[in-house]
Amino acid sequence: MLPLKIENLAVSFPGLTTPVLAIETLDIAAGSRVALTGDSGSGKSTLINIIAGLERVRSGRVHWGADNIADFSEGRRDRWRAANIGLVMQDFHLFPGLSALDNILLPALLSRVANADLVQRAQTLLSTVGLKRPEQHIETMSRGEMQRVAIARALLRQPGVIIADEPTASLDLESGEAVGDLLLSVAADAGSTLIIATHDPRLIERLDRRLSLRSGRITGDTDTKDIAA
Amino acid sequence: MIGFILADLRRLWLGGAVVVLLVALATALGVAVTLQERSLRLGSARAADKFDLVVGAAGSETQLVLSSIFLQPAPLPLVDGSVLTKLAADPRVDWAAPVGFGDSFAGYPIIGTTTKLVANTTTGFAEGKMFALEGEAVLGAAVDLPLGAEIKPMHGTAETGGHTHAGPAYKVTGKLQPTGTPWDRAILVPIQAVWHVHGLGEDHGHHDDDEDAHEGEHHEGDGHDHAHDGEDHHEDGDAHAEGQADHARTVAEKPAPQSQKYAFALGAASSAHVEEDHHGRIDPDAPIVETFGPSTPGLPAILVKPKTIADAYRLRQEYRTGSTLGVFPGEVLTRLYATLGDAKMVLSAVAAGSQGLVAAALVLVTVIHVGQRRRQIGALRAFGAPRASVFTIVWLELFLLVALGIGIGFLLGLGAAQIGAQLFTAKSGVILPVGFTREDMRLALIFLGFAAILAAVPALLAYRQSPATALRA
Repeated sequence: MLPLKIENLAVSFPGLTTPVLAIETLDIAAGSRVALTGDSGSGKSTLINIIAGLERVRSGRVHWGADNIADFSEGRRDRWRAANIGLVMQDFHLFPGLSALDNILLPALLSRVANADLVQRAQTLLSTVGLKRPEQHIETMSRGEMQRVAIARALLRQPGVIIADEPTASLDLESGEAVGDLLLSVAADAGSTLIIATHDPRLIERLDRRLSLRSGRITGDTDTKDIAA
Repeated sequence: MIGFILADLRRLWLGGAVVVLLVALATALGVAVTLQERSLRLGSARAADKFDLVVGAAGSETQLVLSSIFLQPAPLPLVDGSVLTKLAADPRVDWAAPVGFGDSFAGYPIIGTTTKLVANTTTGFAEGKMFALEGEAVLGAAVDLPLGAEIKPMHGTAETGGHTHAGPAYKVTGKLQPTGTPWDRAILVPIQAVWHVHGLGEDHGHHDDDEDAHEGEHHEGDGHDHAHDGEDHHEDGDAHAEGQADHARTVAEKPAPQSQKYAFALGAASSAHVEEDHHGRIDPDAPIVETFGPSTPGLPAILVKPKTIADAYRLRQEYRTGSTLGVFPGEVLTRLYATLGDAKMVLSAVAAGSQGLVAAALVLVTVIHVGQRRRQIGALRAFGAPRASVFTIVWLELFLLVALGIGIGFLLGLGAAQIGAQLFTAKSGVILPVGFTREDMRLALIFLGFAAILAAVPALLAYRQSPATALRA
């Protein structure tokens, strides 16, 4: 439930004359559901990395609520991200050899914040995302099930923001739709801000707002709320 | 975190096993060298422990010690028998005992000596009793023969073309408790029996003692008989002497046995023809006599127990002149260890080199491995794992593998050293005490410390990796 405010953001890579991402100003209201679209190379992933605190901001300000994550040290960004951002990736990034439950708890365990409540919450989340066997090892799951586990993991610490990077791109139509439903419903339940980078038109049209990127700049900003509702 | 590491290691078990194996082998090499060398040093020192001073004929000190204490078969020059007489009478000497060797039975060396030496260098009998007659024998603990067994001495050893003395046979009367020395593999018989088998000392030896007057006659008879035995021995390739000639020579030499400078030569085939010259017979029922007169035959070595340390030094000094050689076995061993130490240094350097190679290979493998795991490491970070956790995971994974390898390596090294020690004991009778000491503890800690630093290299790479770059990769 955090609002995002970006000012004068510019991301450049050495050797490139033009910045890969340049955003003068961008506001995303708390609790809103935003689709991020654009071809590959449009700066979409870079924007995701920046707002998720995965990459350092060298120029400009990125405010999530009262915090400007551009000022954070790497360690602080890690801690902040762990507490505030739920990430869902195209490739799930689950860890083979561990059960669904352990995968959900792993980041919390590694941050030494796991407690009985969180374990309980992980169990609840598993049934929320529609999985019945918490001890099932993830390598024995279908891709749709894996993405459900990944979503449960993203939700564990009740993040104010859920960021998903092409969550349905590696799934078949049916699973993709189910995952889209799930993301929308869990974000709605928690009131989290939801930002999804996607090409999936059916997912896009179910979100409130659509941001289009091209060559590192926002070229379109449409309100699709009426349709989604 | 441990759960994650274990899951990870299970997934990568094959690579992990190879790492463990590499480390284990490299460690085992170094550990085995250290343990083996140390046990050899300790074991041989213990074997020499009971023998304060060894007196022999002028020659190689090392050979004297190797032959008298480690019973290593080699031709030794003989020291004049009168030396023993003198030593036995010396007030500074607690006891002095002759050691005569040259024969063997079933691979066990037959050592001629005295009851005094047996009593003073062993802890007692496991069964049976001390030899009391010329034809009796006492077994070392490692000799696999029963009480009452009959022992037919063979000159030299079977491997070196020795042959069996036809006449004499000893009867086993006792078995000693283990001493952990090469003497455990020895068959101990009265020294006079050894002399008599080889046709020495019959006319002289104990004849000074009036009680033994009739013995001499008895042996005289034996001496004449033995030429016929000579016939039996001609299977020897280099037996150049016919029975008659043989006999003649034996008789001729008998009055001056000390001229036989290399008679008691165990194992040297070339000595066989020398041996041809003096077959003898023992009288199994003759009582043994352990006072040695001036005409005692020549001896390869005399073991001396001085009364005090000062006496020991004085005696050694006295018997280091002219035709005799007095040595402290400990001193000779120390010199041998110095040589051994050099060999150990070379081996240790080889071991250290291989360990260095393995370490370098491990760094290479793990750096590549971390590269391959960029995505996984990045994902861990992206989902909120702190950098310290990522560092710990990578560090702990490698450290666990290497530590396991070091642990297994120490056990392997211990096992190898023990097998080596057992082989050595079976061959020589010297018990090598293989075991870890504080020094090894230090080595283990150094290895572990090194492993900790080694594991930090990939861990640091993982630590420095940005989560975003990792995900892009």
